[in-house]
Amino acid sequence: MAPISIPGRREAIEDQRAAGGGLAAVFPVHNPRALLRSFGLLPVEVWGPPSARGDRAAAHLQAYTCSLVRCGLSFVLAGGLDRADCIVVPHACDSLQGLGSLLLDFVKPSPPVLPYYLPRGERDVDRAYLTAEIESLAERLARIAGRELDRAELHARLDREEQADRAAAALIDDRRRLGLSNRRLYELLRSREYLPAERFCALADSALEARGEMEAAGVPVLLSGLVPEPASVLDALDAAGACVVADDMACAGRRIYRACAFDDPLERQAARLLSGPPDSTRDCSMGARVAHLCELAERSGARGVIFFDVKFCEPELFYLPRLQAGLREAGLACLACEVDLADALPDQILTRLEAFVEMLS
Amino acid sequence: MSIEGALRYYLGTGIGKGVLRFERLRNEWRLRHRAPKTSSPFSPPLSTSPWLKELISRHYLTGRYADAHRKVAWVTSGAPVEFLKALGYYLLYPENHGAVCGIRRRGEELCQAAEEAGYSRDICSYARTDLGSLLSGRTPVGRLPKPDLLLCCTNICQTVLFWYRVLAAHFRVPLVIIDTPFIYSTAPAHAVDFVQRQLELGVETAERVAGRSIDPAELERVTRRSREAVELWMRVLERARHVPAPITAFDEFIHMGPIVEMRGDRATVDYYRALLATLDLRIARGTGALKQERIRLIWDNLPIWYRMRGLSELLARHGATLVASTYTNAWGELAALIDPSDPMRSAARVYLHPILNRGTGHKLDTIQRLATDYAAHGVILHSDRSCKPYSVGQMDQRERLSARGIPALLLEADHNDPRAFADEQAENRIQAFLEMIPS
Ligand code: SF4
Ligand code: SF4
Repeated sequence: MAPISIPGRREAIEDQRAAGGGLAAVFPVHNPRALLRSFGLLPVEVWGPPSARGDRAAAHLQAYTCSLVRCGLSFVLAGGLDRADCIVVPHACDSLQGLGSLLLDFVKPSPPVLPYYLPRGERDVDRAYLTAEIESLAERLARIAGRELDRAELHARLDREEQADRAAAALIDDRRRLGLSNRRLYELLRSREYLPAERFCALADSALEARGEMEAAGVPVLLSGLVPEPASVLDALDAAGACVVADDMACAGRRIYRACAFDDPLERQAARLLSGPPDSTRDCSMGARVAHLCELAERSGARGVIFFDVKFCEPELFYLPRLQAGLREAGLACLACEVDLADALPDQILTRLEAFVEMLS
Repeated sequence: MSIEGALRYYLGTGIGKGVLRFERLRNEWRLRHRAPKTSSPFSPPLSTSPWLKELISRHYLTGRYADAHRKVAWVTSGAPVEFLKALGYYLLYPENHGAVCGIRRRGEELCQAAEEAGYSRDICSYARTDLGSLLSGRTPVGRLPKPDLLLCCTNICQTVLFWYRVLAAHFRVPLVIIDTPFIYSTAPAHAVDFVQRQLELGVETAERVAGRSIDPAELERVTRRSREAVELWMRVLERARHVPAPITAFDEFIHMGPIVEMRGDRATVDYYRALLATLDLRIARGTGALKQERIRLIWDNLPIWYRMRGLSELLARHGATLVASTYTNAWGELAALIDPSDPMRSAARVYLHPILNRGTGHKLDTIQRLATDYAAHGVILHSDRSCKPYSVGQMDQRERLSARGIPALLLEADHNDPRAFADEQAENRIQAFLEMIPS
């Protein structure tokens, strides 16, 4: 089977620029991608990035701030986002709230900073609020892009994002037959963080077309947490003989939203952002998260769950004890690891991963 | 709610209140007749202190028996509680209980109990204290009543959301969330609408749990008393503008108990009125909280509950006093927004605007304003490992304050977990800081 070629971030950005489009640097977790695209902006996500290290941010953030935010700020300070047309900071937690506020009040990078608040519920009142919030974001984007919101265009972009969600879901569902290592699978899934939806769909299609009949071997595991960084964790899972068959990562599976039908595209965009699987940063109930993880494990045949979290990440850390208890009750083994995105994967975690996979096999 | 429960409630609280009143009278007598300690850098304690102790102890005493007879709600500090008060709920604030545990040096043990159950040491120590108390059944206040309802408002942080999710799963009771969008610059109208609508939904849930409807006249009364108490609290704080300050922020941290836990009660209004009169008397007599006040400081962030005495003594030895804090100020600065004739809309506005729900630039402005208004010589920024929303931004705030000629110290600690506090290092840093302050 021919290996798929996944364009890198830089290539995607250059292509976008060459086509005359703009760039929106976006922080995690839930972003109105379709809205940004409808203004001609390509959303390029900033999950760290690990290569930035947290050093520059040390003058602004205490060491007990999570490394995702520290690395993100370091990247901004190093000028990594200077070429963006705007920086979007969704409100996902206290740390990202702090980052948005720091950027606006003190750091003041050259691209305009656009924070927006994601409500923590799925009630009608949450959707109504988020619709108004997205509308206000659209007004700010219109000023940056120099054009008005085109509602038909937004609907079309939403259709494409829904299509991309279906493609991502299909990749995870058929993961065993894709013939991809864990690292390669996540490179493919995470290319959505910077590729236009249509390019991601084309990539996913070619990966799905190339799938074989044989199911790959490997101890089936479910991966949960924020983001699989440093990516060497995926190599470690490969080496240990584990196969990630289900995903509950904030950067991947938790952003496979339901298709939403509303006449008003802003309301549709809002409803979409509230329709994802249970997520700590959207304040879902403990029970809903346990039920979701159990369902993922059952559907995929995962024998164990690995929580791969970022140190100091309160949203995830609060859920862990009850999630682990609920999963163990359901007969699923669990392993919880915490990492600093700016550091290499510690040996101790490698050993624990190996031991866990061995125990499951 | 059984007859037996009602009997237990009235008997238990009745006898207990009698005992507490006796203790208060005894303590007041002692205060009046105790010879002042000449070696102490402090003036004698405020004469209302025994009253405060009685007020807070009564609150926890009522809590011991409350769930046998009344509906109980556990609420986050800074949550809009007026509608629950109007419905007759007994309110318990896990954060305040956490502070009580911290003051009584039980924080570490309870945090450890939570950690043994799998809760990370990196999460807020109030939450760990509370969850540790819940899981171990240990508390310095005797007993906490079980909640019938949980009310969580995000205007202080997102942490409380996760914490209350744990509580909801533990107690299996309804959780009302009042989600207050963070204000980066100004609050848009749709944010106020959003909070108001959630308040209305919250009332519906609270009514259902209480089995009765809210009386609008009672809601207005409670809101009026809230406003009155908040205004009085602000006036109490403002008395510290006087030189020498008749009250310190250390005193205020303790005296804020009623404004947090008993907002909307007549007793709170009465207490702050008496406290204000006491402070006015001190001012008239030229008595400061410190016998020799030389340096006036602003405190930012939560107190370090388990080191309050040690820190106040350390500062006092250098003639330094905390004249204001962003933390205690947060409970007074919104008084003007409270409108008893429009309780829901005004609550939506008020509860959106606490300092913790606003940007880092706003906090810097507040600190600077306090420094000017209270004629402060410097600022101590408590970098609280457990409270990220309050602490993020302090490094830039320190830089800017220093650049504007206001010396500022970043003090690493944790408000409830003493394991994150290095005594000697803190002492050295504070001493060095005080020595460089030109007073
Ligand atoms: S890693 Fe956790 S704490 Fe950090 S930004 Fe992400 S959700 Fe927030
Ligand atoms: S994180 Fe801060 S504001 Fe939130 S509960 Fe803890 S101490 Fe209070």
